[in-house]
Amino acid sequence: MRQLRSATTIAALVLASATAAAAQQPRPVALSIADARTRQAVEREIARAEARGLPTQPLVAKAMEGVTKQASGERIQAAVASLAKRLEQARVLLAPSTSAAEIASGADALAAGVPGAALKQIRAAWPADRSVVMPLDVMTELVARGIPAKHALEQITALMSRGATPAQIASLGSSVNADVAAGLAPDAALEVRARGVMSLLPSPAAAASSAPAGVRPPR
Amino acid sequence: MIRRAALGVLVVLATRGAAAQALPELRFDAGYASVRQPGFLASDTVRAVDAALLALFWRRPADRWTLYSSANVTYARDSLAAAQGVMALVLPWMDREHLRTDVGAAGATFSLRSAGRGGNGNLFARQHYVDDAWGGWGGAAWGLTARDGRKSASIAADVGAWARWRFLFGSASYARLSSEDLPLLYASGGTSSPYATSYEFEDVQLVLTARRGPHELAASYTARRAVAGTDDGAVALSVNGQLQLSDRLAFLASAGRQLSDPMRGLPEADIVTAALRVSLGPKPLPVMERASLAEARVIARAGGGGELVVRVAAHDTLAVEVAGDFSAWRPLPLAREGDWWVVRVVLPPGKYRIGVRANLGPWRAPRNVARVRDDFGGESGLIVVP
Repeated sequence: MRQLRSATTIAALVLASATAAAAQQPRPVALSIADARTRQAVEREIARAEARGLPTQPLVAKAMEGVTKQASGERIQAAVASLAKRLEQARVLLAPSTSAAEIASGADALAAGVPGAALKQIRAAWPADRSVVMPLDVMTELVARGIPAKHALEQITALMSRGATPAQIASLGSSVNADVAAGLAPDAALEVRARGVMSLLPSPAAAASSAPAGVRPPR
Repeated sequence: MIRRAALGVLVVLATRGAAAQALPELRFDAGYASVRQPGFLASDTVRAVDAALLALFWRRPADRWTLYSSANVTYARDSLAAAQGVMALVLPWMDREHLRTDVGAAGATFSLRSAGRGGNGNLFARQHYVDDAWGGWGGAAWGLTARDGRKSASIAADVGAWARWRFLFGSASYARLSSEDLPLLYASGGTSSPYATSYEFEDVQLVLTARRGPHELAASYTARRAVAGTDDGAVALSVNGQLQLSDRLAFLASAGRQLSDPMRGLPEADIVTAALRVSLGPKPLPVMERASLAEARVIARAGGGGELVVRVAAHDTLAVEVAGDFSAWRPLPLAREGDWWVVRVVLPPGKYRIGVRANLGPWRAPRNVARVRDDFGGESGLIVVP
């Protein structure tokens, strides 16, 4: 019943400029939420995030998700505020990365239960000018699958150190997914698939010698 | 005593049978009913009695069929005791996506102050045509009732059609019934023609249902006209509703008149009920209505990105939508392709959260992808496009 009330109270959310693909720092968005208190609270939260230099597109998407799911105004406010907090945490943990996509991926990783220390380790595994969006996303997916964060982190950072490309890391995630869907235990699937991707990569010594300056040497 | 023991055995067997297998859906209703049954004479009218309700529903969907069974017991000390059980198989046609056949059997035992003691069994078959927003059916049933030592047969045929418009679901049906169960007619306040050994009547029923997510409100109107063996007609109006309190708990209520049902051996009655429904199985209450199964996969494209394919097996579902980061959480409708509802979206590399819903029900993650909490008390699926 609360959902019904919410649906009538929050009539519509119109986004002036928000598309899922827009990964760059978005411009301020115009929110139109029928419930004035909710709208103003969400707008304030987005304005605060923008003032702090945080990406605002994930906050707009979270509000839109809440409207689509007919969440109450209070719940939408709380969800947006909570995400803003995670974005802030992710930015600190992923420093010196400043890209909106990395910060958003980091925030989602924290929400999925990836420890903050893991974000730092993933960031450190590649040079600062190389995006860690895909390793973060695959890490999030693996942890959401029920794989212990420590195990997932070991495999992903090992692949990163060995010079795996984002596509190879992504293929690790999709292969594990397929195995899990076929009935394999997530942990076992990760072990097997990581070994498979690893076998395609150059040896640690070769990776170290061919790594660009700034790459953390493999362990 | 023997009959009560039989009722207990029925419930225990139904529970054990359900527990012995994988349990995609198991519901348990418990509540209160006030039942008033009319009699042949005004003095026969049974005053309203308070009764306890107990019901169990189990359903197991598979790739090509759905098996479901239900059992319920209504009990009010010495004036009313009835138990019913139903087992049915829903069979979609292999090569005709719009066709579906239901076959099943039902049984009942009753001890009614107004209509005697006995038992009843019936077989039924129903052929459905199911399109996106409308459909129809035709069916037949045959039943045998033993009441106070007297056996009688009943036969029924019905045709109907339904249509859906936004959140409204309406149906109209016509049924013709013939029965030898004269005591049931008398117990319902009716009279038979002289020398009649059976009677016939026809029912026209209209049902209008409003659905909003898991919540539902329905009103039903039935007009009965005597055709042979009796001059008595009747009308009945009833309303019922379901309010979903949480994933596993719902409140159900109904009020109205139930016309006599020769197939189940039950007389006319005015009934008011209130009950709580609890989901006992591993799957919460209607996750996706009917036999729905959603899955999402990504087909990688050379050069990066991929095609997200979401498909839902829902033979008799009326509408399926998907939403996610890729659509700025605006719902996108799925289209029918054979036995599936399908949508395809080309996406650049990245991580996307996604939800699927059927018939405006709750948003859920597809079954084969990783899941994350969504900050709204639910969950979203998570996919990574390489």
